[in-house]
Amino acid sequence: MTAAAIDARGLGKDFGAIRALDGLDLEIQDGEFFGLLGPNGAGKTTTVHLLATLLAPSRGTARVAGHDVVRQGLAVRRSIGLVFQETTLDRDLTVAENLRFAARLWSLPDGVARPRIDALVRQFELLDRRDDPVRTLSGGMRRAADIARGILHEPRILFLDEPTAGLDPRARRLLWERIRGLRAASGLTVLLTTHYVEEAEPCDRVAVLDHGRLAALGTPAELKRAAGVGSLEEVYLAHTGRRLAETDGA
Amino acid sequence: MRAVYGIVAREFVRFLRQRGRVLASIGRPFVWLVFAGAGFATVFAGRSEIDYRAYMAPGLLGMVVMFGSLLAALSTVTDREAGVLRMMLVAPIRRSTVAFGKALGATLLGTAQAVVVAGLLLPLVHLRPTLGGALLGLVAVVFAGLAMGTLGLVLAASIRSIENFAGVMNFVVFPMLFLSGALYPVRHLGPVLRAAVYANPLAYGVDLLKHALLDAWAGAGYGGELPVSLDCAALALFAGIGLAVAAPLLGREGGVTRTAFRERR
Ligand SMILES: Nc1ncnc2c1ncn2[C@@H]1O[C@H](COP(=O)(O)OP(=O)(O)OP(=O)(O)O)[C@@H](O)[C@H]1O
Ligand SMILES: [Mg+2]
Repeated sequence: MTAAAIDARGLGKDFGAIRALDGLDLEIQDGEFFGLLGPNGAGKTTTVHLLATLLAPSRGTARVAGHDVVRQGLAVRRSIGLVFQETTLDRDLTVAENLRFAARLWSLPDGVARPRIDALVRQFELLDRRDDPVRTLSGGMRRAADIARGILHEPRILFLDEPTAGLDPRARRLLWERIRGLRAASGLTVLLTTHYVEEAEPCDRVAVLDHGRLAALGTPAELKRAAGVGSLEEVYLAHTGRRLAETDGA
Repeated sequence: MRAVYGIVAREFVRFLRQRGRVLASIGRPFVWLVFAGAGFATVFAGRSEIDYRAYMAPGLLGMVVMFGSLLAALSTVTDREAGVLRMMLVAPIRRSTVAFGKALGATLLGTAQAVVVAGLLLPLVHLRPTLGGALLGLVAVVFAGLAMGTLGLVLAASIRSIENFAGVMNFVVFPMLFLSGALYPVRHLGPVLRAAVYANPLAYGVDLLKHALLDAWAGAGYGGELPVSLDCAALALFAGIGLAVAAPLLGREGGVTRTAFRERR
């Protein structure tokens, strides 16, 4: 019996009067590539932070890699990687120093970390900037370094919160190739949030989140069929259209 | 533990890279020595048994530790705003390990600065501590650094942004400095201020430094005023309380967004 990689039951989070997440039920299988779509403020980042033990749920429960996010935070964090929507790099340190810092936080021995850092820096085309302070990098390069930081410890479950925002098409391609490689090599589970709906096309399953609630859930093909449309983008608009209509009217 | 080593190492790399911070920390005590020393020396004039500039040395070293460790720990605010704290909080380590790493980094950074300044300052004011005195001084600096570092962590976890920094300077740093015995003996102060002295971790650090460096003047009333063991115990107590309070505060920022504080109300 293989437990689900992620299993959320009635998961909810309030920020004061704001109901950021309202009773999310979600099961993501081991090795699945899962896409979470939704407009700004839908609750995507809140979901990711709850699952990564950075926020405490207001309601409901969640298990990640079989561990409870409230009672077994350390075990959860041991199994996951998270690329945050906003950068987490130390701007005053170089790319290599940031990665070395992360390697130590994740208790990787130097002998393991060094070749991995070399490989990642090369893969994300940061080789000639590896000893420059992050401050001096372009936004896209910083993003690439952030992603390298998130996968350095080769997690079992990877959260990518809008990872490609600000990346050029080539860097985007490199990221997806890298993710595909990791998934093929290690059966990595990926939970991706994105605004670029076409990026969710290769996902095994996709969910649309709106106002903290699941508006749709299924494989891309199922969702298109159910909505009677030809693209994921139209699926997305069909489920979050209410808001667009409001904006149009204004 | 590797994570603690990583957090400490990062503090040192950051410090050494900020040249202004290095110069300020090394230069500050000498500015005080020259300008405050010139003024207070005239007040103290006539007491032939003490040399005021030498009398200032323990206080100045205490000041170096205070600024060094407190500022290093307060950098947690910047870590939070820049997002680096998230990297630490999503790592597979306990909140208390993050707090301990930051506190240890602050302690060692303050200690290193005090050792460098002592190497320059003590010969300048003709203080030649005995080996025992030097060791006691080192203990004083480490303990004071730990107390200041954990205090800085608690402050960092409770202030919203670096803009509140001026408030910390006015209401924490300066009172602590003046009520530490760094510039004048505290035994002549009135009961209210004296009580404040006892609540001031820096006062125990400076007192311990006076034991270490001004033992010769103890008879004249210008050495340490409290028992060495009391100084050590008080500093350890402050450090323990600081760590115990700071760890859950850092963890509470689980959202790691500034607004996470709003949840507390
Ligand atoms: N720390 C916080 N304090 C208060 N409100 C918050 C906090 N974090 C999120 N919210 C609110 O919760 C709701 C969901 O936010 P969340 O960041 O999860 O959205 P999102 O789907 O990630 O949006 P985006 O696409 O813009 O990143 C929003 O209304 C937001 O204002
Ligand atoms: Mg978001």
